Amino acid sequence: MSGEAGTAPAARRIADAPLSPRFGPLWRLSLGLSGLLILTLAVTLGASWLRGVGVWGVNIPFVWGFDLINYAWWIGVANGASLFAAILVLRRHDLRTAVNRFAEGAALMAVLCAAMFPIIHLGRPWLFYWTFPYPATFQVWPQFRSTLTWDFWAISTHAVITSLLWYVGLIPDLATLRDRARSLRAARVYGILALGWRFSLRQWAYHQVAYRTAAILVLPLILVMQSTVAFEFASTLVPGWHDTRLPLQFVASGLTQGLATVLLVAAILRRSLELGFVIDEEDMDLLGKLVLASGLVAGYLFLDEILAAFLAEPVRREAMLNRWTGPYAGYAAAAALLAVLVPQLLWKRSLRTGLLVPVLAGIGVNAGVWCDRFSLLIGGLQKDYLPSMWRSYTPTLVETGLLAGTIGLFAALLLLFARFLPVVSMFEARHDEHMEQA
Amino acid sequence: MAAPLHGLMAEFADHEALSRAVEATRAAGYGRLDVYAPFPMRDLARSLGFHPRILPWIALLAGAFGAALQYGSQYWMNAVDYPLNVGGRPLHAWPAFLPATIIVAILWAGGATLIGTLLILRLPRLHHPVFAAEGFERASQDRFFLVVRADDPLFDAAATARFLAALAPRRVQEVSA
Repeated sequence: MSGEAGTAPAARRIADAPLSPRFGPLWRLSLGLSGLLILTLAVTLGASWLRGVGVWGVNIPFVWGFDLINYAWWIGVANGASLFAAILVLRRHDLRTAVNRFAEGAALMAVLCAAMFPIIHLGRPWLFYWTFPYPATFQVWPQFRSTLTWDFWAISTHAVITSLLWYVGLIPDLATLRDRARSLRAARVYGILALGWRFSLRQWAYHQVAYRTAAILVLPLILVMQSTVAFEFASTLVPGWHDTRLPLQFVASGLTQGLATVLLVAAILRRSLELGFVIDEEDMDLLGKLVLASGLVAGYLFLDEILAAFLAEPVRREAMLNRWTGPYAGYAAAAALLAVLVPQLLWKRSLRTGLLVPVLAGIGVNAGVWCDRFSLLIGGLQKDYLPSMWRSYTPTLVETGLLAGTIGLFAALLLLFARFLPVVSMFEARHDEHMEQA
Repeated sequence: MAAPLHGLMAEFADHEALSRAVEATRAAGYGRLDVYAPFPMRDLARSLGFHPRILPWIALLAGAFGAALQYGSQYWMNAVDYPLNVGGRPLHAWPAFLPATIIVAILWAGGATLIGTLLILRLPRLHHPVFAAEGFERASQDRFFLVVRADDPLFDAAATARFLAALAPRRVQEVSA
């Protein structure tokens, strides 16, 4: 094969990763560590289910606590990453070859992590299907004027559409793995997943339209999804939340977060899987610039929130001031610092294309947006209309374990993805190479 | 000729040679061609007459149906079949019904896109005669294939093989049905 490998080396080297029999100790160590975190998730989930939500620090008025912080946070990662991937597909941008596949994958894994929280925060999670309109024995229908039913449709649709975009793009590459697999078992598994893909031009023609249609569907979904999360807060009467600008803030900071996650994963993948030849310096450069720009937009929205509150009625102003100077002011400050200031490191090209700064920015922005959601959800509730209800919220170990556990789940799913599937689109890489040769 | 034929397969090393061969084959009057390439070739697909314009319409219609179904069922369940007075708020609360309506429309459109594509392409179909052709696994990597199907009215095993060989392929082989 070596003599002919020159015709498509990039796609070949991408496929070598999932087909190789061994993957190195670092991968196993990382998987082991995320496995430990998943164990934490299992224990904390078990505690929450068996003992009930009393094991959390939530109490009136903080009825949501970590659950909705984490939910909104994961949805942000998912939305940002899939919005980015969809736009690249539709624009036929060169960057899509390098980042689309794992951006779609990261989005899907983030949706799975996000989906857990609305279910467990129900208190009796095993009855979650009550939100689905089925002919129940009580002859009672779900209450569609409740935001809880929005969550049900939004999350299930988000999971379906994100996996659709990911899977449709993956089908031809699964067929390549089928044809190159070294064992019959691997060939069978990849073959079934590839659905008998034959690489005929007719199939390609429909495939490309289906892929682009899925990408088009992602666009409104993302905007509706993140806005729906924001409306769940905005439709309450809480002074810090009852605000029509909230969806904008969620969408914008969610995009920053998704881009930062893509940057983080890209930096790690190109180093660990030696994918520098497809995820090249230009790609890292562009991604870094995007994170920087969207970080500035997030910063603008933080400022806008403060200024808009000074123009609003006193109760709204009080709520904002309490968020920035009250007992949870640290989170508001950390949000601004991490989500807006850390990406400023990306101004320099040599830092954008390295490993350390993209990783730092990726983690920083995500931590920052998490602090923003904390500040909004907890800091925003701390002083409600009734002074007798002014309390404070402290998360318990179980809640922290749930958060850490989903991070472990996300990492483990990404590691398995990198192990068994091509993290970069092979047919796009092949196409680019043939065009360059021509 | 012993076994019935699926067609004759010519193999090419690059996409330009394939495009030229497809053009020549069509000029010679052959109409039932299958072309295989390791990446989408939009212009060639278009010249072969593959215009999958129907897919976006399937998505749109399914989306419209999903939206109507979701809005209608919300209205019927909450305003007609099980009206519940919550603080005097209107039973037909259309703004509250909209998020789920939009989202379910997208769900239907997405599902219809996938199912429609698979139905049109008749997938999954794990076996196909071309898979048995020697070297065809390189269609997924770096080779380009042109198949003249045996059901083509002009098809003649010997003459078509001579014609294909004249197009300077890497090789020509028979694909049994």
